[in-house]
Amino acid sequence: MAATPQPAYAGAPAAVSPPRRGVVARLSQYTGFTPAIVLFGGFFLAPMVLIVLYSFWETVNYNTVHHFTFSNYSYFFSTSTYVRTLIDTVWVAAVATFLTLAAAFPLAYWLARYVRPAIRRPLLLLVILPFWTSYLLRVYAWLNILGPEGAMNRFLHWIGLTSQPVSFFLYDRPAVILVLAYLYFPFAALTLYASLERFDWDQFKAAMDLGATPFTALRRIMLPQIKPGITTSVIFVFIPILGEYLTPQLVGGAKGVMIGNLIANFFVGAQYTRGAAAALLITAVIVVLLIVFRRSLEVRDAYAP
Amino acid sequence: MPRELEVVSPRAGLMRAFLSSWAALVYLFLFVPIGLLVAFSFNANKYGTFPFTGWTTHWYGQVFGDYQIKDALTTTLRVAIFVTIVSTIVGTAAAFPLVRSKLPFRSAVRVGMTLPIMIPGLLIGVSLLVFLTNVFHLQLSVWTAIVGQSVYTTPFVLLIVAARLQGFDQSLERAASDLGANTFNRMRYVVLPLIAPAVFAGALFAFTLSLDEFIITLFLIGGSNTLPLYIYTQVKFGITPEVNALATLLLLASLVLIALAFVLPTATRRLRLAVRARRVAG
Repeated sequence: MAATPQPAYAGAPAAVSPPRRGVVARLSQYTGFTPAIVLFGGFFLAPMVLIVLYSFWETVNYNTVHHFTFSNYSYFFSTSTYVRTLIDTVWVAAVATFLTLAAAFPLAYWLARYVRPAIRRPLLLLVILPFWTSYLLRVYAWLNILGPEGAMNRFLHWIGLTSQPVSFFLYDRPAVILVLAYLYFPFAALTLYASLERFDWDQFKAAMDLGATPFTALRRIMLPQIKPGITTSVIFVFIPILGEYLTPQLVGGAKGVMIGNLIANFFVGAQYTRGAAAALLITAVIVVLLIVFRRSLEVRDAYAP
Repeated sequence: MPRELEVVSPRAGLMRAFLSSWAALVYLFLFVPIGLLVAFSFNANKYGTFPFTGWTTHWYGQVFGDYQIKDALTTTLRVAIFVTIVSTIVGTAAAFPLVRSKLPFRSAVRVGMTLPIMIPGLLIGVSLLVFLTNVFHLQLSVWTAIVGQSVYTTPFVLLIVAARLQGFDQSLERAASDLGANTFNRMRYVVLPLIAPAVFAGALFAFTLSLDEFIITLFLIGGSNTLPLYIYTQVKFGITPEVNALATLLLLASLVLIALAFVLPTATRRLRLAVRARRVAG
């Protein structure tokens, strides 16, 4: 931190900075970016650029040949399992996002409208708490419940609904969607709450005084105002799910495979160029979404303590 | 206000009851899986699941006696310490120009710098894997994992410190320079003490994220094992009560660290104010 004195001043108030500034002084205000440029440029941007290049190169006998081609992409799109997986991934992400928001909205609404302000904060903290614990462990926790010997099967057996363990709950798409909804719930609840908190409930009352039904008031008065919050939570849930690897790997089995698992398999099998093409497809979707919805990406105090 | 609303609509009471029960269900949904995990770790049943056959701390004893776990813990801590150092320095340094310089396209730069959070960890992992092994022909090791994790944790530090700098009253610095403080002294006595809590919180977040990080580490660490990787390989062979115990300990560690990150900044501020007050009084 002692390495960062310069930037603090160059951008500082006019009284502090010298009256005339040369090119050096103007550039020196960015000195603080240097380590970040090395880290992000060298170990994030450069590898990403390399992946782009790889996706247009060829693998011949496990060697990468620097020869421009679209064959990796055409291979991907001509293999029906891959296309299927890509479509399934978007579908799973969409369903999981919808369910997450559908579950989170009533909770956020309840917190913002019916809970005394004094206990709102602790209740909200309880929602966010799982988000700060290990991702792997939260998936793992579900294995205890969904597995053939898990809580769910034991419970069904106990109440006499089934006579032997069913594997319906594990190694299938519904299990993936359920666990994904669980993982991303805190995020959706927090963002929705943040926008509902600012909502002026008197407008609701006014709408109903003027004869609106509660539903109409919700749809025509509240929804337009909290729309940015809804967009933000959709983005923050949908995008990470597109790149999921661990959840489908642990609870999805063969039927729950998502594009992330496909990409990982390509790279583990040293099919770098094909893997690069698949990785780039999903990155392209994400980056387009990020650009379209960039205004909703203002990262607020969700992270900051 | 809720009372008034109930007068307006007779159905409001019903709605409220429904929402309250929904909230209760949500909290159950959030905490039952974790609760069961913890409960199973104290269960004598050696299959690590239902039914409960008795209370035991035997599995914790096994965790502490397991040399593989001890190895993994050492690696995890080593990686986490270096990741914390790197991301704290890089993130804090970048926060200054991000907030204070006359940056063109500031919001674009901000989104760009937080991109490693939005891009799936899997992609960070595989792209670095190819980059480091195929272009630089490096051997995978804890160091490659440290680099990969730092890419992911640094934006968190950056966001936390930048948020603090944004609310920073720059007239304090102006006052310091009016009083003759030079660049170094302004930094040392004005800026750093004021942003220290945020830097510290950022460091704690980076440390916690590193402890729990799985996917980037999986691709970049080569032969070594961190605790999450160890758990992952164990889970492939089914659930064991020992892993339940280890998982419970890890959950506890993350919670304690995060609690510290939230509590310490306020606590230190209060402490400092108290000390200063006493000094003034004395």
